[in-house]
Amino acid sequence: MTDEHDARGARSISGGSLQEAELGAAPKVWTARRARAESPFAQGVRRLRRSTTALIGAFIVAVLLLVALFADVLAPQSPITSDQTHTFERPSWSYPLGTDQLGRDMLSRVIHGSRISLAVGVSSVLLALFVGVPFGLIAGYYGGRADSLIMRTMDLILAFPIYLLAIILMVIFAPTAGIIGTIKVTGAIAIVRIPIYARLVRGSVLSIKEKEYIEACRALGVRDPWILLRHVLPNCLAPIIVTTTLGIATSIIVEATLSFLGLGTQPPTPSWGWDLKANVAFIQSNPWISLFPGIAIFVTVLGFNLFGDGLRDALDPRLK
Amino acid sequence: MRVYILKRLLQIIPTILGITFVVFIMMRSIPGDPVVSLLGDAYTEENAIKARHDYGLDKPVLLQYVIWLGKLVQGDWGASILTGRPVLYDVLVRLPVTLELVVLSMAVALAIAIPAAIIGALRQNTWADYTATSVAMVGVSIPEFFLGVLLLLVFSVGLGGWLPSSGWVYLPGTCQTVVCAAGLWGNTQHVLMPALALGVGRAALLTRLLRASMLEVIRTEYVTTARAKGLSERPVVLKHALKNALIPTVTVMGLQVGFLIGGAIVVETLFAMPGLGTFGIDAIIARDYQQVQGFALVTALAFVVINLIVDLTYTFLDPRIRYS
Repeated sequence: MTDEHDARGARSISGGSLQEAELGAAPKVWTARRARAESPFAQGVRRLRRSTTALIGAFIVAVLLLVALFADVLAPQSPITSDQTHTFERPSWSYPLGTDQLGRDMLSRVIHGSRISLAVGVSSVLLALFVGVPFGLIAGYYGGRADSLIMRTMDLILAFPIYLLAIILMVIFAPTAGIIGTIKVTGAIAIVRIPIYARLVRGSVLSIKEKEYIEACRALGVRDPWILLRHVLPNCLAPIIVTTTLGIATSIIVEATLSFLGLGTQPPTPSWGWDLKANVAFIQSNPWISLFPGIAIFVTVLGFNLFGDGLRDALDPRLK
Repeated sequence: MRVYILKRLLQIIPTILGITFVVFIMMRSIPGDPVVSLLGDAYTEENAIKARHDYGLDKPVLLQYVIWLGKLVQGDWGASILTGRPVLYDVLVRLPVTLELVVLSMAVALAIAIPAAIIGALRQNTWADYTATSVAMVGVSIPEFFLGVLLLLVFSVGLGGWLPSSGWVYLPGTCQTVVCAAGLWGNTQHVLMPALALGVGRAALLTRLLRASMLEVIRTEYVTTARAKGLSERPVVLKHALKNALIPTVTVMGLQVGFLIGGAIVVETLFAMPGLGTFGIDAIIARDYQQVQGFALVTALAFVVINLIVDLTYTFLDPRIRYS
């Protein structure tokens, strides 16, 4: 089984480098130098700009970021002030998306809800990244005891079905409202995602550290932290970036799911998952209100998925 | 082969010990304990101490775990602190519901994904491929509970209650208590929306993976050889290409078990189904230690067994893969 996979991996990698060779190895020295001058990232950006899906994804993400940043200005009303005289209003000019059971304006709640989703989605993944990547670097580079200690711990986390772990962590943290509540959710999701980065980076480091240029660095007496940061890390960045973008989409779904189960950021803080759950109870009489928070989650996740897909194609041409 | 399966089954033990131990420690690190909700209004310091003693909650945590494990080995899963019912009984009553949901949703996923992926890969960059990939993109971006809500809106609200929005009718033969309703048609009505809600997301993910690996496989030389031999398209695609393309897909399906369990919790909550998912989440929130342990045990078992099935599937898909 492993052999089979290794063989496949090796094939596709050699295919990839062939393609790079075709791009880079031109007959004249001039072009070769020019090709060298364009960094892999510049190439990536160039390919990214040609990808329609990535551009659509980037556009959705950009709009969402603006909505989240300027939620206070954009929202016509307060998302948390209830108005008992206007409960379950149908969509109208004064309430474009209607109101919920407490008479709160759904449009304002959906606009403000973007903050929680984006904040948790992005920061949980970044937190996992900043913890997981160093672990992966150390485990892969040094091997031995550090490797087994780190990777066995990661395996233990990975052995958990992720929702079971996230749910129990949230019960331990005791969900609350506001910023503190958001930080708790972020922490729970980040813990679940750390092993993904550790594994990913460790795998790349294992092959990179055998390369001649690393040996050359060691021979020159370059210190380990410098080798890791300057020479090893940049060479495993592409998969990290792709995993991060697609990971934000997953984290947003996990956050919405936790909120849906009542374990996310607590009310009155507006959260899409919570709103969806709260309004499902009234689905028979007021079908429209549970629709809007759901659409908001869907569009956000779609945006990050499209962008992540485009990024993957741009940074990893052999997947095309 | 038999030795291999036996070895793998033995490996279940450390996984289960690990998962149940961590859950045990984690549950007991939650502030407060189930005695508070057990006693309710009758709560006094004295009663609480007595109740804790009765349930063995005053012993050191490690000792409590060893006691739990000792009983488990004898087939005793413990009893719920809050309801007094044996945990194993609850698990067995609820297992068929979740099993039916998961199996059907996987069937939905495969029924959509395999044809969609084949069409997408064989007709790459045509409108059929674009449709398949776009629909799959939408499918992976839609959370199970929102898809469930959409289904509810169409089939329960929009079409005037075609399908029931909540509750459960057992599949004949799986109903183990006297009071539960059973019937094939009723069961179908109740399981349809949950299975779709859980299955469509998986289908989308599988389509994307399978299409990608199909594209890789149909360009290999043995597929060209098979075509050159004069084989018709059908066996080339189904026997030569699909079987090999399925290998990485099956791997990812195994890794998706964690998400499937989460999906089951969400879908069962949304449709108010009496399955293991609702059992687990209710137990965790109520801090019913024994029930949570039971739930963790079942999930750990499911995890290991599904991954074993995944590994055994490889030998069927690619006979060159042998375990010894």
